[in-house]
Amino acid sequence: MSKQTSLILLAVVVLGAIAAVYVYFFVYNKKHPDFEKLKPDFSMDAATLFEAYKSDNAAATALYNGKMAAISGVLTGIDESGGLTIAVFAIEQGMFGDEGLRINMLPGHAEKLKDINPGAQITIKGYITGYNDTDVVLEHGSIINQ
Amino acid sequence: MNKTIVIGLLMLLSVQLSAQRFATKTGFIRFYSEAPAENIEAVNRQVNSALDTQTGDFVFRVLMKGFQFEKALMQEHFNENYVESSKFPNATFSGKVLNADRIDWTKNGTHQVEVSGDLTIKGITRKVNEKGTFEIKDGVINGKSKFYIKLADYDIKIPKAVVKNIAETIEINVDVSLTALNN
Repeated sequence: MSKQTSLILLAVVVLGAIAAVYVYFFVYNKKHPDFEKLKPDFSMDAATLFEAYKSDNAAATALYNGKMAAISGVLTGIDESGGLTIAVFAIEQGMFGDEGLRINMLPGHAEKLKDINPGAQITIKGYITGYNDTDVVLEHGSIINQ
Repeated sequence: MNKTIVIGLLMLLSVQLSAQRFATKTGFIRFYSEAPAENIEAVNRQVNSALDTQTGDFVFRVLMKGFQFEKALMQEHFNENYVESSKFPNATFSGKVLNADRIDWTKNGTHQVEVSGDLTIKGITRKVNEKGTFEIKDGVINGKSKFYIKLADYDIKIPKAVVKNIAETIEINVDVSLTALNN
């Protein structure tokens, strides 16, 4: 094997190894986004977003599902059931009680939320997963203004 | 099963006396795929569920984008390629607890139940019949079930490249703590 062929083979092996490492760490095992640091795609008050889903679920789903939203409104309650800490923006009463927005908080922000009294004006950023016919549901919530 | 049927069933539940209706907005659903190359797990902790103890009517509504995976790539593939959650944002179950009339829902105890109904995933509805337990404790009904679904039944196709990474049959675990509705 000539020296030139050996160098080409070595280069191929090294490039292959780099590609494999890249795919393993940055594609296959890429991390979830840091939701606390993500910039919101849009800002809206809780009542307007709820009404958008309730009046035209399909249109709102297409527009807002999978987006980061900065939601402003009056915090009406904190639901700590199911091992979660959920910020509740109740907009109206339905057949299953309060209906509105429910934002499951990130661990660090769950504790901060517990220090806020219901009735306070607050802005929370979260990832919209959709509308389940009673509530607009968000995950990875973080308080950005209170 | 479509949304209209689910809403209709929910409205039907709403006219019953409040003490007969139990619900949660923080139900738990986990699915688990065991395959030669890797095991995959995802959980959703904001599942809506309601039970009417008099009629046995039992419903679920699950937002597909609410499933959390360990790996971001798996979550992307799940939403974009497998369940197409932008097109089919919800999975639903609407059915009945078949032996609801033989359970004293007012007393503490654990009961084996059989649940039958329509499970809709990715817009495809299949009849399912599964077993589970309801534990009644101090007015709270904790329902649990483990069952299996075939991905092919719901038109979820596994590309050949990852056939060793995803099982054809997926284990589903359900865990809901249902409390009485006040209204």
